[in-house]
Amino acid sequence: MRNSEAYKNRIELLQGTLDMLILQTLQWGPQHGHGIGQAIRANSGELLQVETGSLYPALHRLENKGWVASEWKLSEKNQRAKYYRLTPAGKKQLSAEQSQWRLLVKAISKVMKPA
Amino acid sequence: MAFWNCLFNRKRRYQELQQEIEAHLAFETQQRIERGESPDDARANARRDFGNELLISEVTRRQWTWRWLDELEQDSRYAFRTLFTNRVFTLVVVATLTLGIGANTAIFSVVNAVLLRPLKALEAERLVRFITTYGTVSSATAAGREFDEWRQQASVFEDVSAHRLEFMNLIGGTEPEQIPVGRVSADFFSLFRAPVLYGRVFTRNEDVPNGGALAVLSHGIWVRRFASDPSIVGRTILLGSTPHIVIGILAPGFDTEQFEPLPDVWLPFQIDPQRVDGGNLFLVTGRLKRGVILEHANDRLAAAFADYSRRLSRPSTVTMWTVQHLQDAMVKSIRPSLGLLFGAVSLVLLIACANVANLLLVRGDARKREMAIRRAIGAGRARIVRQLLTESLLLWAAGGVLGLGLGSLATRRLLSLYPGNNPFNLLDAYSLPRLGENGSAVAMDWRVVAFALLVSAVTGISFGLFPAFHGARGDPQGALKATGSIVAGARRTNRSRGILVVTEIALALMLLVGASLLIRTSIALDEVRPGIDTHNVLTMRMSVTGTRFERRDGIAELTREGMRRIGALPGVLAASMTCCMPLETVWQLPFIVEGRPLTSRWHAFGGWTFVSPGYFETFKIPIIRGRDFTDGDNASAPGVVIINEAMARRFWPNSDPMNDRLIIGRTMRPEYDGDPVRQIVGIVGNVQDTGLTHDARPAMYVPVAQLPDGVTMLNVKLLPIVWIVRTQGRPYVVSQPVQKELRDVSGGLPVARIRSMDEVVSESTGRTRFNTSLMTIFAISAVLLAMVGVYGLMAYSVEQRTHEIGIRIALGAAGQQIRNIVVVHGVVLMLAGIASGLVAAYSLSHLLAGFLFGVATRDPIVFVAAPAILGAAALLAIWIPARRATRVSPMTLLRNN
Repeated sequence: MRNSEAYKNRIELLQGTLDMLILQTLQWGPQHGHGIGQAIRANSGELLQVETGSLYPALHRLENKGWVASEWKLSEKNQRAKYYRLTPAGKKQLSAEQSQWRLLVKAISKVMKPA
Repeated sequence: MAFWNCLFNRKRRYQELQQEIEAHLAFETQQRIERGESPDDARANARRDFGNELLISEVTRRQWTWRWLDELEQDSRYAFRTLFTNRVFTLVVVATLTLGIGANTAIFSVVNAVLLRPLKALEAERLVRFITTYGTVSSATAAGREFDEWRQQASVFEDVSAHRLEFMNLIGGTEPEQIPVGRVSADFFSLFRAPVLYGRVFTRNEDVPNGGALAVLSHGIWVRRFASDPSIVGRTILLGSTPHIVIGILAPGFDTEQFEPLPDVWLPFQIDPQRVDGGNLFLVTGRLKRGVILEHANDRLAAAFADYSRRLSRPSTVTMWTVQHLQDAMVKSIRPSLGLLFGAVSLVLLIACANVANLLLVRGDARKREMAIRRAIGAGRARIVRQLLTESLLLWAAGGVLGLGLGSLATRRLLSLYPGNNPFNLLDAYSLPRLGENGSAVAMDWRVVAFALLVSAVTGISFGLFPAFHGARGDPQGALKATGSIVAGARRTNRSRGILVVTEIALALMLLVGASLLIRTSIALDEVRPGIDTHNVLTMRMSVTGTRFERRDGIAELTREGMRRIGALPGVLAASMTCCMPLETVWQLPFIVEGRPLTSRWHAFGGWTFVSPGYFETFKIPIIRGRDFTDGDNASAPGVVIINEAMARRFWPNSDPMNDRLIIGRTMRPEYDGDPVRQIVGIVGNVQDTGLTHDARPAMYVPVAQLPDGVTMLNVKLLPIVWIVRTQGRPYVVSQPVQKELRDVSGGLPVARIRSMDEVVSESTGRTRFNTSLMTIFAISAVLLAMVGVYGLMAYSVEQRTHEIGIRIALGAAGQQIRNIVVVHGVVLMLAGIASGLVAAYSLSHLLAGFLFGVATRDPIVFVAAPAILGAAALLAIWIPARRATRVSPMTLLRNN
């Protein structure tokens, strides 16, 4: 409800895709929660805004599943932050989700293609 | 592993999450500052953008595997705080639950010890009891030949053993002592896996007639009487006047649960299968072979019985042989009585729970605003239900733990009320087996603890859920808007509360009816005149087995001399001796009226008691016709018998019994074949010697001086003889002198179980009284709880309507009118409760039939009095709050608003 007006022209995330986006983002190296949110936003051309209320539960869920691991490190600006990184299981999961996603996109675009 | 990690790391993870969120905010703030916002704005905007920090961290925590634990802790902590703030409420609720659960735990402890706890014996599930059936009557007692047949069924049974409790005198040492003796056949020790400390136990070769006088000592008597001296093995001890060679000593703790009291000495049974004697008063226990099921064994026994019947020269009265699981056979008769108590105490718990549910509902209403606020700031309904349920469960857990403690105290108290079992009483079907000495076998084992916790959990969830849903229901806006004490949803709550109170009244009435029926039974029992004057009579038992007194001349001389010396004591009015204590153990024998045509072996069975002269005088049994026995009725005189009125009426309706002679016990057992034909010389009043609740049976009395030796030996072996003394004053005054005279006259034989006849009578109904007192306690608690429930409901509804009442009074309503509104509301509920309780009691009271005497299951007095008592109690509980309603001051009310 909060700030809903401001995000009207942004895309709602499909259920379950947030996990994939996080894993994808972590591919390039360890990152903290704020950074992950920023990266998704930037990489989507500002179209995707990940709410903290979804991001942190997702991170903890992925950690619980063993797809990401975390450690406390100092950032380049000398701030202590919790950095998440992909685990081998997470890499496997990511590639599985990538191929699934490609399939899904193919299927949906076939359906949605104007006749 | 994960669980513990989580438990220990939880605090750290909490902090980490907090730090993580703060780090996020710091990044965001920095970014905003870099973008040119002022630091203050940046911080505020970062926070705003982040959203509801608490909610996010809670949702995040939910991703952790053990977050429920987390919330449980949160809920419990909150519940603790709330409960602590409302101390009075908490105290009342916990006390109510403690009482309910405690009473249930206490009764369950007994149920557990008697019915549920497995037998102590190893692999007890393979132990079976042999049962003989005569038509519709089943009996666990058997005869020697039958036992011999069973012993041979080796295809299904591993061990088969006969056993019986006897009492004998251990002579030697400072004082002779009457001790319990286990008379057992050879297999007994292997059957129950007896641990042998020194020496050995009997072999099958020794367990035959004239197999030798051997004895095995229990650990207890070996320590107590023989100074734990192992060299006693191989030496002899004197039991009665017979020396027995000690061949072994058992290890401590050997308890087969077949004997009460535990035997001090074990003797070989030495049953002669060729003779149909030995007294068919022994029990037979067997062990099924591994893998043999009960049905299989019973099939085998049926075949064996058919074969046995064919070989019999004379048809047996027995019609069937079967086996039952030992534990079932031992506790079968007591099940209904324990079931009754357990059912009753469960009703008390239900009422207690209903009361607590009611209190929770009241509190739920009072907390409507709190819950509304919680919902308004985002708590889900499920979350609130869970929180309220946590509070309830915490209350029930406290009740359960305290109830367990109270229950263990109450169990001790309960057992002290229990009259104890009488080893000589073979008539009482209600004695509780397996309680151990002074109830030592009743203990708090895991079953009792599990029961208490389970009961708390189940009742806690079922009775706590309902108020919890109520609490979470309703529209937060309405509740927040309502400023007065009238809150949205109150009407619905009142209906639920009304239903709870109606149920409570109904349950309480059922218990009250049950208790009243049992009280009427006790009163009826008190009014029974058993046919003997029981006041000022002292009784004691003396074992004469293995002495010269077990034969006719010996016992005749003993009684003659004993009576003479006791009779000479000051304060003694009369004295006599008998085989059998009325109301405890009585025999019966078949008889033939000489010269009457016979269609079967005998004419009928009748009570059979041997007595010495003076018996009727001592018990004040009236001699209606003829004469008492005299010293002249001895072995050389013609046989005589005295019968009771019931026998005279039944068998000589139109003729004079004094013209006839009786043949007693003939062809029953060889011993009785030597009994003389007896002239009926007297008719005496009826005695209800088989129990106060039974009509007097036809009965025969014979003089002890005229019995064949075999009959005397058989009887004194089964039971010690009974001395009875009528005294001028209180019976115990002469106890010491009587004992001294008896010791002198018997050459040092001890007496045991010294009781006044009044005690014997009250013991014979002790278990009925035990049930009655418990039921009464339960009923009183139920009524009190129901009163509290009614009072609570009425008081609360008055409080709820204070506003309305105030306005009515301001508008001119009289106090009486106000009171009537409240009273009518209460009375309607009360009548509904009483009506449903009456219907339930009326349709269920037949379940009590087996426990009642002298009162019908639908006794009109009870069915009028019980509702009247409960109604009066409920009216009182309604009246107090109703009066308070009239004192509402409209001015105060208006000021408050």
